[in-house]
Amino acid sequence: MHEFSLIKALIRKISSIALEQHASKVISVTVKLGALSHISPDHLREHFVHASQGTISEGAQLHINILNDINVPMAQDVTIENIEVIENS
Amino acid sequence: MKSRTIKVDYLARVEGEGALYVKIKDNTVVDIKFKIFEPPRFFEAFLRGRTYNEAPDITARICGICPIAYQMSSVHAMEDAFGVAVDGQLRALRRLIYCGEWIESHVLHVYMLHAPDFLGYPDAIQMAKDHPDIVQRGLQLKKAGNDLVALLGGREIHPINVRVGGFYKVPTRQELAPVAEKLKWARDAALETVRWTATLHFPDFEQDYEFVALRHPEEYPFNEGRLVSNKGLDISVHDYDNHFIEEHVQHSNALHSVQKGRGSYFVGPLARYNLNFDKLSPLAQETARSVGLSNVCRNPFQSIIIRSVEVLYACDEALRIIEQYEKPDKPALEIKPHAAVGYGCTEAPRGILYHRYRIDDEGVILDAQIVPPTSQNQKTIENDLWQFIPQHIKLPNDQLTLQCEQAIRNYDPCISCATHFLKLTIDRV
Repeated sequence: MHEFSLIKALIRKISSIALEQHASKVISVTVKLGALSHISPDHLREHFVHASQGTISEGAQLHINILNDINVPMAQDVTIENIEVIENS
Repeated sequence: MKSRTIKVDYLARVEGEGALYVKIKDNTVVDIKFKIFEPPRFFEAFLRGRTYNEAPDITARICGICPIAYQMSSVHAMEDAFGVAVDGQLRALRRLIYCGEWIESHVLHVYMLHAPDFLGYPDAIQMAKDHPDIVQRGLQLKKAGNDLVALLGGREIHPINVRVGGFYKVPTRQELAPVAEKLKWARDAALETVRWTATLHFPDFEQDYEFVALRHPEEYPFNEGRLVSNKGLDISVHDYDNHFIEEHVQHSNALHSVQKGRGSYFVGPLARYNLNFDKLSPLAQETARSVGLSNVCRNPFQSIIIRSVEVLYACDEALRIIEQYEKPDKPALEIKPHAAVGYGCTEAPRGILYHRYRIDDEGVILDAQIVPPTSQNQKTIENDLWQFIPQHIKLPNDQLTLQCEQAIRNYDPCISCATHFLKLTIDRV
């Protein structure tokens, strides 16, 4: 039930990094999905497509690294690992 | 064109389930949108094709704070459909379990969510450093409510002992005795809570609301009564759909309820109190008067005192029920399903909760409608902000956000569990 807010925060963070880095476009985003993160990869992907519309991340590839270990400290989290951007020329 | 990969390692967090958008032009508020992000949950659709006796356990999952309200509205709607009236001790036990829920839900809001706003703390944890005794009293008082729900419901959260026709298992007098002891302490603590909340500072803010609540000829309402208002509404629960309508607004995922042709209305503790003051127990009435309340309160910020009065009433009423309790012969009445439509409306902690079900001859649910209190208050919350924000328009954004959070929290909306749930956007054009 918290997906919407989570994805909004994620898109906002990506946009602010892209702005800082003077990027013109985000090509891909790689996230790490904890084993207990309460959201499935498909669900995350669907939300990402909707929430990125009209932002610098629209059309970006979403790479999801799925973690299976429920005992690691970050097991409940969704972490943005990196983003690939096109630089302003 | 050159691409580059940037390492981020940022944890995406849930940043709140609500947002408030305010547009200001020449120092005048021109637009306010109170948005609820929480996505639709499709419970009404889940219920289709399930049997009538599953409704209390399925709908209880809608809310972890007020599952009893969902169970009570659903069982009363089913019993209405099948022409069954639960009375005597089984009826009393239903009031008793509702007392437990009001105590736990109201105390959570009064102590953990609303009081920190008044005292200037970001949350109850910070407040506990300076006011450990108050926070401990709140926790213990909440526990008295939890214990009652756990005993009658099987467990505190999402209880499983309520069924259409009654309960699966009913307690003995002996089993209720230890809970009664705790409730005696809780009643004193609730009295202290009323006195304490009455000392808080309240903004001068009164509106001409239409309050809507159940009213019963003999008792303060939990499960039964007619729907009445201070502006002339007086209808049977069966007529709910003829008088109220749910509207979809683009900026929120929660439907807005309005009264047909009359607009917004106000449900919850303030509405119940204003329409049923004469049905509160003598102790609750006396205590309310002793802290300066009259039998009508139109300041939503003072809802924290009214909630405390209702906690006191719930403790008092629970003790009365326990004292008169005798274990019924059977834990539930027999139910024979047939094709019918049933209506139920009960007083959830946050206000009236309406359920309607259409059932076929096998007892299978054909369709369901559920109208929770927060969606009924949503329009009134927006209206309050239209009045409230202009009075504080000169405050810096962070202070204005806190004030708006407090104004929204007056209604104990379901999204308020997040301590800082509000993202305020002020657009000055």
